Amino acid sequence: MIKPKKDDEAAELEISPSAHNSRRNFLKGLSIAAAACSASLVTGCLPDVKAESGEKFALQWKEYFKKHYRLMTQQEKEETVARLERLAKLQSGLDLQISTRAPRENVLYGYAFNITRCEGFMECVAACVKENNLDRKTKTQYIRVFEMKPGQLDPSTGDGKYFHEVPVDNKFYMATQCFHCENAPCTKACPTKATWREPDGIVVVDYDWCIGCRYCQAACPYFGRRFNWGKPSIPKEEVNRKQHYLGNRIRPMGKMEKCTFCIQRTREGKLPACVEACPTGSRVFGNLLDPDSEIRFVLKNKKVFRMKEDLGTDPKFWYFID
Amino acid sequence: MNISAWFPRWLHVSPLSVAGLLIVCFFTCVGNSIAVEESVLTRIGQATNPYDTTAVESVQPLLQETVVAKEKDQRGAFRVLARKKFIERYPCSSCHNGKPVLARNGEALTHGTVIIRHGMEGNGLTCIDCHHQDERNYLENKKGEKIDFDHSYLLCGQCHFRQKRDWLGGAHGKRVTYWAGERVVYNCTTCHNPHAPRFEKRFPATYSPPAE
Amino acid sequence: MEQTSRHGFPAFVKDVIVWNVTGGFGLQLYRLLLILGMGVGIYAYSFQARYGLSVTGMGDIVSWGLYISNFTFLVGVAAAAVMLILPAYIFHDPDFHRVVIIGEGVAVGALVMCLSFIMVDLGGPLQAWHLIPGIGQFNFPSSILAWDVVVLNGYLLLNGLVPLYILYNHYHGRKADERKYRPFVFLSIFWAFSIHMVTAFLYQGLPARPFWNNPLMGPRFLASAFAAGPALITLALAIIHHVTGYAIDRKIFQKLRLIIVVSAIINLIMLFSEIFKEFYFRTHHSISAAYLFFGLDGHNSLVPWIWTSIMGNIIATLILAFNPGKDNPKVLLPASGLLFIAIWMEKGIGLIVPGLIPSPLGEIVDYLPTWVELCVTLGVFSLGLTVVTWLIRAALIIEDKYEKSSQ
Repeated sequence: MIKPKKDDEAAELEISPSAHNSRRNFLKGLSIAAAACSASLVTGCLPDVKAESGEKFALQWKEYFKKHYRLMTQQEKEETVARLERLAKLQSGLDLQISTRAPRENVLYGYAFNITRCEGFMECVAACVKENNLDRKTKTQYIRVFEMKPGQLDPSTGDGKYFHEVPVDNKFYMATQCFHCENAPCTKACPTKATWREPDGIVVVDYDWCIGCRYCQAACPYFGRRFNWGKPSIPKEEVNRKQHYLGNRIRPMGKMEKCTFCIQRTREGKLPACVEACPTGSRVFGNLLDPDSEIRFVLKNKKVFRMKEDLGTDPKFWYFID
Repeated sequence: MNISAWFPRWLHVSPLSVAGLLIVCFFTCVGNSIAVEESVLTRIGQATNPYDTTAVESVQPLLQETVVAKEKDQRGAFRVLARKKFIERYPCSSCHNGKPVLARNGEALTHGTVIIRHGMEGNGLTCIDCHHQDERNYLENKKGEKIDFDHSYLLCGQCHFRQKRDWLGGAHGKRVTYWAGERVVYNCTTCHNPHAPRFEKRFPATYSPPAE
Repeated sequence: MEQTSRHGFPAFVKDVIVWNVTGGFGLQLYRLLLILGMGVGIYAYSFQARYGLSVTGMGDIVSWGLYISNFTFLVGVAAAAVMLILPAYIFHDPDFHRVVIIGEGVAVGALVMCLSFIMVDLGGPLQAWHLIPGIGQFNFPSSILAWDVVVLNGYLLLNGLVPLYILYNHYHGRKADERKYRPFVFLSIFWAFSIHMVTAFLYQGLPARPFWNNPLMGPRFLASAFAAGPALITLALAIIHHVTGYAIDRKIFQKLRLIIVVSAIINLIMLFSEIFKEFYFRTHHSISAAYLFFGLDGHNSLVPWIWTSIMGNIIATLILAFNPGKDNPKVLLPASGLLFIAIWMEKGIGLIVPGLIPSPLGEIVDYLPTWVELCVTLGVFSLGLTVVTWLIRAALIIEDKYEKSSQ
């Protein structure tokens, strides 16, 4: 032990034998406390450390160290999807089909919403929740429907939480969701490039790459993004088993999610669940690069506008009136 | 105050050149962000080549019965969902054939359950406005042409021509299941009850919970 | 005093550790309290690790809360070290030369707290390695958060390594070679301005949030940082003067007071400018300011908060400006403390939460931190204080010995 020289001001540094022992005990206690704290922290932090089987842990280990989805080869994508399917089987007994379908050539998805026709039935919201395996506990909803008074188009003047017979006279209905902007502020904000715009126009999130900083959620002007504040819970029989890696697979806790234009459906040529569910046909979806598509017809023949157009986000979701 | 004393000797460059460098950097950054002002609308406007929707191979044939529409949309021919199977008492000629009926069966045979709420209150449509007077298996438009129940849009479109134009293009109604592949759309009467076409008021399917 | 009997880095580290676990009863009690604070923080964080951020008061609308508020404020405190470095190294003020190492210790502690607040706020902290360029994906230069990661870590290195080099040399009784570290000191001066501007740009660059999307955020951040940071340093120096033997001249306090007053006045002018813009002609963009200052639709939980902060700010600024009592510490120290707290209130919760309310679609909610957030915050503050105490204690002992040896 170093015995520093005695100084008047540094007198407290002189180590007497009794102080030496108490210091040793103090240090001992401190290190035990630190070890206990860090052990409890680790067991609390690491997901599923008490894995029932070694297989689960091995799968989670490999999943933890995997690359960004965009950098994976097709084989790596298939491997990660196989691991995810296996983990789901082990953890909840679900048989999933997770797709890694790539974007289609010459396709750019666009969406139009008819604010004359919407009657506020919210079938779109219910269908979206089922299709995309959204958390039932917190009632996460990608789509928000607003009951609006005529005279203003700003959803902040509307009521987003109505629950009464619809439609109400002299009110119209307007829905919002992620608008898949071409100049998205959210993709610009993400520090790890965990969210990006795919070539077919869908803005997606790699849930396993996201670090949960929520900067994209602060950047979105349309309240398009949702965060998994807790672990999502969906009743097993309601889980939609046809999933896409970038779409409706069940998200981990602490990750961002959003509408993906039902990527698991649209890349197979199907309409998104909201479009299909709408009883009044207020929603139009299609390929913007196809001059004969319905969405192009709407853009050409109807008076369309986009929300908060002045922000320069260039969304691919238009509103129109009959 | 001698500003040059602020900088160590090895950083003794003329403040003017530093300022010039900063200005150049600034304008390149600003210029870059202005340069990418192109909206998606420009790209859409340039996309004039036809797109082959049959290229999406995962489109399966539909389970519902469809018929080829008698009009064309912007792409060409398209299909609509057939309706005749959903009409309870079709074919109408099974009763409307000139044979006498018993009075005691009258209640069961009348269309008394049909309440017409189509048109203005008190001055709305009547049965004969749409149904063919003689050939009950068909509808009749104002030109006297016979219209099949599967192609009722030809009749509806006479008055509701705006909706029909939109329906042909895709701004009204809905496609069935797929955005790709051959276009199959909902018929008018798939969604609208022709006798009371306005959607009924109802409770929403769900609600948005109040935020915390 | 001669040099220590052993040389080299291990001896230095060992001594630093020894100095920081020994001491009088008061010091040990203080250290125990800090450890308890950190323990409470870790216990609370274990809930967050297990159940996710749902145990906090944050939600999809108010997606940033107490953690990011404290982070924002503490970056300013870290940047304020430049207000000691500038006079010490540029103007060669001998008084400031004596205390600059304390300022750097406070800066390092504040930075450690900033990084800790970010880590506890992340939903996926285990995925933080995704940020590392090379093995992860780093969205530089598009994402301002990426810029922030770079500048904060760079500033931590600058403010950690330069004093480390100086202290290490002084520990061995050598004079530190000024030519070696002077360029880095100059760099850290510019860097200090940049860390706070970049942190301001995090919010300033979001078109979705009109409360933040104004050009005054960056300069306002600097003004409030240079008022609150030196206020904290004043308090720290006063404590050090009384508790340790390290004498700090009155002149330093007078000069610090001047820096604080100028910055605080500029801060108030900027506040007035913001209030004018929001309320002279109320547009839809002013709705967040209306929520903060006056409440909206019955939601007015932040109204008393912000007005208390503004009153405290004005009162403290006036006291420090007019200096009643002529540099009487009994007047100046409470005023500095009041100013620090007032700016913490306004720049922390008073900036982050209203920026997110109402939601982009106009929904209004209230935010209240939960016990988890409060305890984790306590833990992080304890950690920061621990770091600052460790650094300053080691620095003061070394500097004291060095001064005596060179006499």
